Amino acid sequence: MKSRLRTLLIAIGSLALTGALLDRMRPADPAATAQRGTLSSSPGAGALLGWLGGFRALAADFLWIRMYAGWEQRDLPGTQTLLSAVVAVDPRPLYFWLNGARILAYDLPVWRIDAEGGYDAVSETRRRVIEIEHARLALAQISAARRVQSDSIALWIEQAHIELNKLGDTAAAAASYRRAWEEKGGPYYAARIYAELLKRDGRNSEAYAWLCALYPQLPRDDEAADAPLVLARIRELERTLRVAPEKAFRPELAVTVGRSL
Amino acid sequence: MNTVPFSLRRVGLIAGVTLHEALRQKLLHALVLIAAGLVLGVRALRDFNFGVSELKFIADFGDGAIAGFGAALTIALTAQLFFSEIEHRTALTLLAKPVWRTEFLLGKFLGVAAVAFTFCGLLTATLVGVLEQRQLELQVDQPDAWVVSHAVNFGMLWVAAYLHALKLALLAAGTLLAASFAQTQIFAVMAGGAGFVICHLQGLAQAAYERNGASLMTALATLIHWIFPDFQRFALPTDGGWTWIGLAQVTAYSGVYVGVALALAVRSFREREV
Repeated sequence: MKSRLRTLLIAIGSLALTGALLDRMRPADPAATAQRGTLSSSPGAGALLGWLGGFRALAADFLWIRMYAGWEQRDLPGTQTLLSAVVAVDPRPLYFWLNGARILAYDLPVWRIDAEGGYDAVSETRRRVIEIEHARLALAQISAARRVQSDSIALWIEQAHIELNKLGDTAAAAASYRRAWEEKGGPYYAARIYAELLKRDGRNSEAYAWLCALYPQLPRDDEAADAPLVLARIRELERTLRVAPEKAFRPELAVTVGRSL
Repeated sequence: MNTVPFSLRRVGLIAGVTLHEALRQKLLHALVLIAAGLVLGVRALRDFNFGVSELKFIADFGDGAIAGFGAALTIALTAQLFFSEIEHRTALTLLAKPVWRTEFLLGKFLGVAAVAFTFCGLLTATLVGVLEQRQLELQVDQPDAWVVSHAVNFGMLWVAAYLHALKLALLAAGTLLAASFAQTQIFAVMAGGAGFVICHLQGLAQAAYERNGASLMTALATLIHWIFPDFQRFALPTDGGWTWIGLAQVTAYSGVYVGVALALAVRSFREREV
């Protein structure tokens, strides 16, 4: 018995020493650390991951179906819990993060308002409290997604939509659209919306400067870039800002230089 | 006291016999058939896929079958092959000859490791076949919707298979260590299974405790983190990127743990009454 105990202790000690030495030699892996944080921040996620291994894609899909069943029944706590569970089980698909954030921001507040008597019965103040609460949950979801997702453009765009449509925070939305545009391959419309939001905030000079800097970067043969629309908006702002004709933007001098903003 | 020098030939012979015995096990046939059936039949489940492209879903599912059934196979096979030698007294006969206990255990380990590597290779080849066929179908059926970025990186599948095989080798060594202590096969299987779960979770547990700042639990989690190899290290990065250096590091990590576990198993087995 003593011999077995001694052998067991030697085994534990040797393995611990081995592990400690190997741990010291391990290079830091920030991506792995970030992912660990996301997984372990969800209760039970680690256990699921350990058990499921590669089956987690299927498990996450089943949880997503289960979540939709709850969504149809307007089961708010169930939906919210399963949304967290899905991304905890399989944080890789962007689909789950984006659609989860949309459900949190747009659907859940409607259910709560309906549960409290509907849009006619609930005061505007109360509705805003609910909407802002859920918008913040959605933004937290997007923030968590950013730690594990490489496609940050879609996340910045989604964040901007929520900040604009649910929080009503034009400045924050503008900043998010700009971040989306600044990412490699960011969509042209994000740059245009950024300018529109600057205008909405009364920052016409900034919007004008932005569009003038944007125009030379727009490929003329790309419909998505829509250079004529940008030029029309520049002219509109020139009228608003009463820019002197000799100081007006001259597109013929704007050589297409590609993206630099 | 061993009167004959250590022989790699005898290790090879024992490994060969172990492999031969393993191939006759019904358990092996059953698990390989179930796993292969799952991989081949995964297309029937593709309607349940939402989050990722269909091909990625199939690849993930196949990967899960290899990991899950590979672990079950390795643990059960290691314990079964070890205890069948003890229970049938063949170990006694064998060790009465000029055979080192180290050779016996090393041979057992190599035999099971060969099964594990073959299992991973076979299942990955099946998975690659399924994926290649589906990829071709998608390219023909939906040429406009076909996105090149959704194409499967088959090289990565083989890297994943290799990493799975390394994990299974570690599991075999760990189960052999448990078996060298254990009095019953069921205990060794349970210990192997528990080890599999702990190896997957200990890294996550340590990170969680570190974040919460509970010093006693952090210390305990760190100790467990050191004792058990961290299977999260064997996961491919989410972006799928891998490097030869990274692969070599994981191989070395696995090799060191296997070496230590086998050395401890030999030590324990030497003190055991066969």
